Amino acid sequence: MSKTVIQAENISKFYRLGTIGSGSLRRDLQSWWSSQVLRKEDPYADTHSTMPGQADHIWALRNVDFEIKEGESWGIIGANGAGKSTLLKILSRIVKPTSGIVRGRGKISSLLEVGTGFHPELTGRENIFISGHMLGMKKAEIIKKFDEIVEFSGVSAFLDTPVKRYSSGMYVRLAFAVAAHLEPDILIVDEVLAVGDAEFQKKCLGKMNDATRQNGRTLIFVSHNLQAVSNLCSKAIWLEKGHAKRNGDVKSVVNSYLSTMQTKLWKQEYLSLRQAPGNEYIRVLSVELVPHLEDPLGVIDIRTSITVKFKFYSSSPKANLSTDLLLYTISGECVFDIPSKPAIYNEGFIEGECTIPGNFLNDGAYYLSLYFVQDTSRELFDYQECLQFEVADYRPEINWYDKWWGYVRPNFPLLLKPVVADNSIIS
Amino acid sequence: MAEEQKALKFWDWEINSKSTWLGVELSEIYAYRGLLLRLTRKDFLGTYQQTLLGPFWVLIQPLLTVITYVLVFNKVIGISTNGVPPFLFNLIGITLWNLFSEVFLNTAKSFSQNAGIFNKVYFPRIIVALSAVYLQLILFGIQLLLLIVVFGYFLITGKITANPANFFLIIPIIIITTGIAFGAGLILSVMTAKYRDLMALIQLLIRLLMFVCPVFYSLSMVPEKVKWMVNLNPLSSQFEYFRYAFIGTGQLSDLQFMYSASFMVLMVFFGVLLFNKLSDALMDVI
Repeated sequence: MSKTVIQAENISKFYRLGTIGSGSLRRDLQSWWSSQVLRKEDPYADTHSTMPGQADHIWALRNVDFEIKEGESWGIIGANGAGKSTLLKILSRIVKPTSGIVRGRGKISSLLEVGTGFHPELTGRENIFISGHMLGMKKAEIIKKFDEIVEFSGVSAFLDTPVKRYSSGMYVRLAFAVAAHLEPDILIVDEVLAVGDAEFQKKCLGKMNDATRQNGRTLIFVSHNLQAVSNLCSKAIWLEKGHAKRNGDVKSVVNSYLSTMQTKLWKQEYLSLRQAPGNEYIRVLSVELVPHLEDPLGVIDIRTSITVKFKFYSSSPKANLSTDLLLYTISGECVFDIPSKPAIYNEGFIEGECTIPGNFLNDGAYYLSLYFVQDTSRELFDYQECLQFEVADYRPEINWYDKWWGYVRPNFPLLLKPVVADNSIIS
Repeated sequence: MAEEQKALKFWDWEINSKSTWLGVELSEIYAYRGLLLRLTRKDFLGTYQQTLLGPFWVLIQPLLTVITYVLVFNKVIGISTNGVPPFLFNLIGITLWNLFSEVFLNTAKSFSQNAGIFNKVYFPRIIVALSAVYLQLILFGIQLLLLIVVFGYFLITGKITANPANFFLIIPIIIITTGIAFGAGLILSVMTAKYRDLMALIQLLIRLLMFVCPVFYSLSMVPEKVKWMVNLNPLSSQFEYFRYAFIGTGQLSDLQFMYSASFMVLMVFFGVLLFNKLSDALMDVI
């Protein structure tokens, strides 16, 4: 029976919205003067916030309980704004909970951002020390692991160059390399793996995996990448609007999260290349699902044709590129893999489009991935689960209501015709 | 009771909703001493990266200020320095004034400057203020060396005489001046993080405050009628004593010195309390 290392009881976090703290002393003093001294109405009170249906506060977390045992790895999943980051911030001691209590044992290190405290003007060497200290390492510890960190990051040639001259990939590698060599009893990791190239991501996941499997360390991990959560974690919490909707075994939590996810992710758009998912070769600026619906608020059903549009930036000059559009069922089976015709593209923005005809997919939930390939063989970037959608059923004049079988439901004509009877068979 | 003690033993740490006045324990700050030194180094290196003259700015700034003051206050306006070379007279005042204003301004800025880091990683937040003070003390040390060199020059050329015993006075003066600046800076650091327009006001106030400190004049020149105003300023006695430590002139008052020392203790005490109490709440709004 392993020991409990973190026990959270009833943690709640309350945030006020809008009205509190206008950020200007003059306005706050004026508000205070009118409301407290003159007993008049606050001239800056936000009257809209008290309108019905619009709360002026939010419970980012509400009565969340969990217990984490030594050596376990926990994934925290949930939609944006579900309270995942708030929970991590409370566990990392950055913010205080409004109520509730967390007790724990052992040293905690948290990694909520890659390169916290990095100074762009200073060299990689200096920044390894700054970052290491900030994450709670001692000087002797950093010196001991310095070579290992440098080797892991693969930027040894640029160690004495200011990090502002680093490429974004190098920057992330160096920053993560420091964090990967932390040796806390409990490691908290936010969605930091969303940056960096696929190979490095794999390396980082491996490093984190080692930490939990071999050294008996405890890991708490937040990610939108459910695949990563499933692979890395043994347990999971699913947060929804601040409540812990489910917690327990990772498979069952992830499955129930997926199946009840009501929000349709029809569009992903990034305003700058830096934020866009990708790596040094490819940055995906937007992916959009455009259903051909007569009513824009209607639902996609099996008759609807769907166009997938995407736009990406390729930073390789004169590359022989092709893109695959992959469609998966929500349970992970691949329905199809449609490649584009390989062609030479210069560095720049490239748009793509593919239409899935109506009367093709069966009803159910699906997700799409984009896979970028160079020279028809080398993987540049795998943008997994970029879009997700559901196809509703449509079956008029049919009295059978059970689930229609099959992944696809194409409308191939199946013709029946009466033929002249051969009397000898009947009798 | 016994159960409580058992629970306490079982867990290493606890996170709850309470913000304590004292915030962190000294042992925790000590555990993060490596970070403190590293932040100081980072600020020092970061400031002088890609600059023409680099760390020489630490010396150029007081020298240029002194030259300006000598020209304006002594040559044009004609403030008397009672036979002390005006260059030395002003350099003494400016060196101590720089200590106060730099410690104060950098402590006041420390919270809002590091808010982004506080939002991503935990360490005792007061560390950033302490590292700002530490850096300013180092820079002050360099400026003090300049002052000693200039002082030595005037001593050798026989323009002034000095009593080396008085020299030890500068240690309590540095502690008191730094303490007042640090305490006041801490109070303002949490306020400027919330009210960003406050920083502009502070920049203005500190410039005005310099005129009520005997930086380029001595207390003996202040008319009796307004002397209470200058005496109310806990920094005044520090400038008089600092000048006395070097050139042996100045209006000394033990009572004023005690007043400054008690003021420093109060400022540091309230500064630390307020910083700890308010910074938790601030993390929710920044």
